[in-house]
Amino acid sequence: MADEDKAAEIKDLQKQIRILQKKLERSETDRARLEVTNRNKESLLKGVICELEASQAVLEKKNLDVERAFNDLTLMQDKLVEAEKMAALGGLVAGVAHEINTPVGTCITVASTLMIETESLLAAVAANRLKRSLLDGYLEVAKESTDLLLRNLERAGELIQSFKQVAVDQSSLEKRTFALKPYLEELVVSLSPQLKKGSHQVTIAGDETIEMHSYPGAIAQVVTNLITNSLLHAYKNGEKGHLELRATKRDDRILLIYRDDGGGIERDNLKRVFDPFFTTARDRGGTGLGLHITYNLVTQKLQGKISLTSEVGKGTEFTIELPDRINS
Amino acid sequence: MLEIAVGHSNDPDSLEAIAEVLQQCKNKLGDKIPQAGILFAAVDFDRELILQEIDRAFPDIELIGCTTDGELSSVLEFQQDSIALTVFYGEGIEIRAAVGRNISQDPEAIAQATAATAKQQFNLPIKLAIVLPESLTTSTVSILRGLEAGLGDNIPLFGGAAAEQREMQRTYQFYQTEVLSDAVPILLFAGDIHFSHGIAGGWHPIGKRSQITKVDRNIIYEIDGKPALDFYHHYLNDYKPDSAYPLAVFPPGEERFFLRGALSYDLEEGSVKVSGDVPEHSIVQITDTTLEDVVNASAASFAEAWKNYGGEEPKAALCFSCAWRRWVMGTRANEEYRALIPALQDKIAACGFYTYGEVAPLQDNGQTFFHNTTFVTLLIGN
Repeated sequence: MADEDKAAEIKDLQKQIRILQKKLERSETDRARLEVTNRNKESLLKGVICELEASQAVLEKKNLDVERAFNDLTLMQDKLVEAEKMAALGGLVAGVAHEINTPVGTCITVASTLMIETESLLAAVAANRLKRSLLDGYLEVAKESTDLLLRNLERAGELIQSFKQVAVDQSSLEKRTFALKPYLEELVVSLSPQLKKGSHQVTIAGDETIEMHSYPGAIAQVVTNLITNSLLHAYKNGEKGHLELRATKRDDRILLIYRDDGGGIERDNLKRVFDPFFTTARDRGGTGLGLHITYNLVTQKLQGKISLTSEVGKGTEFTIELPDRINS
Repeated sequence: MLEIAVGHSNDPDSLEAIAEVLQQCKNKLGDKIPQAGILFAAVDFDRELILQEIDRAFPDIELIGCTTDGELSSVLEFQQDSIALTVFYGEGIEIRAAVGRNISQDPEAIAQATAATAKQQFNLPIKLAIVLPESLTTSTVSILRGLEAGLGDNIPLFGGAAAEQREMQRTYQFYQTEVLSDAVPILLFAGDIHFSHGIAGGWHPIGKRSQITKVDRNIIYEIDGKPALDFYHHYLNDYKPDSAYPLAVFPPGEERFFLRGALSYDLEEGSVKVSGDVPEHSIVQITDTTLEDVVNASAASFAEAWKNYGGEEPKAALCFSCAWRRWVMGTRANEEYRALIPALQDKIAACGFYTYGEVAPLQDNGQTFFHNTTFVTLLIGN
């Protein structure tokens, strides 16, 4: 090998040695640095994990609080629903009392008249001044009076009977076998004071023979709420409405269709009518619980389904499908 | 037509190294004498000697440069103790260097005056500026604001803050044959050139969101009403901040963040000096990254620049990558450069360095920002 080549090779080797030395120095410092970086990474991740654990604990606690608050609310809601039921019953009592007052008042008037007539007849007999014309007149009054008394007392009895049935059913919710259509008719009679206020007309149609083994009180409450709902929302002051209840049966399912011909429900509100506390009539004493209770009674107590359709300006129709027999 | 040559040597001997670098440049350019150059040098070299050798080889060259925390090029790929020189030759192209000295005395005003004076020497409209500012003595953000004001016309700035090998003691800037500190050298390009750029990072916020409650420019005193160092202690179990875990800073009302790494700290005050100004009431989070995310950022940045290139063909890619990226990558630092090789296709020369902060607009024609832990690719050519 020529000296020049050797010199070049030596020069190159010297360069390689210089580079290697430098790299060695550098790798020492870099290694130390990487160790620090890694140590810090470990700490960082530990720190973040601690934070996550802490926030998890906070979330768990918050979750518990929310759960508790939710339970409290559910309890409160149940109480309100119960209160609403009782309020509805109270309203019913007041209405029925008013209704009974009319025949009973008539009876008192008629009985008083009969008593006065009887006393004057007795006085005439005692004085031996009884004339044929007087007796005839008395007998006519007596016949009319007893007629009136009987009719009005029958009416009062009828009212008490239906009220008793409905009231007992509504508060006790006992299961029994009953004829659906006559029961609905009785129910409507007990609601008649409210219906009369607006001179609304109620039609009950359908199969007379349908029998159910279910909770009549719950059905009464459902129908009462639907009718009350129509009366509160569907009609303007002075409007005369037509409400219709139609009961049919197919196999072991009862179909109860209720419709009014009132103002209908806005599309946006349609989905929310069964939500608790949703009402468009809070200013008129609405609680937003009526249809919610209805929904719960139909779907839980009566094991059925309820749906509705409505058209603004035409009216609203609820379709309730129930089993004819609840065994459990 | 712009021509660009790159020379790169890792010989620790300064004279041998610069001789090798100059030879590589001459081999590429032939008889053409380059008008301008940018030198990146590791801190251990004899800087004065190197500058004189360049001046001797290419008299009248407009030269800027700085010390670095690592160098990369299409010649030797990634190196830690090397010098890399990029030289520019072109007809119909004006390139001039300028420098602002003692910049910490009034960073904004000095930078503005430097840029304004340099601008007056040009006959052609200036297209862009490369800037290699001092980073340890003053607010780089203020320097950038000053340069922008001095240049006007929304001229974009690219570059990186001068670095050293993480001693955080002193960085050096080069201007012609002078070795300076506390200075800001700039290289202005005018005339018939095209350029585009891309930026990418790889760091993600982690941990809880806290608020900056007391800050003065780039010194954070309090986070969530407690000394700033407590924040680092919470995560690092050490009051000493680690710039490999920079802060993600969400300025008030902003959903995007930029990163700020710690430069130094004061145990008594509990304060941290970070790599750039932080707006008051910003939300901060500590950040973390993975090696893959860091390595992938270089290719992503290159791809963005490539997509936006409006000229015929880029001649060179200037790369500015954050020193903290290199520290995190450790022995895999070379992968960041190697990820670019398929895109360079042996046609585009590349040269760059590891910085103490990167300079680039967030998007084309946008305002220039000072970044940390990002990779900036600047494509430049015809």
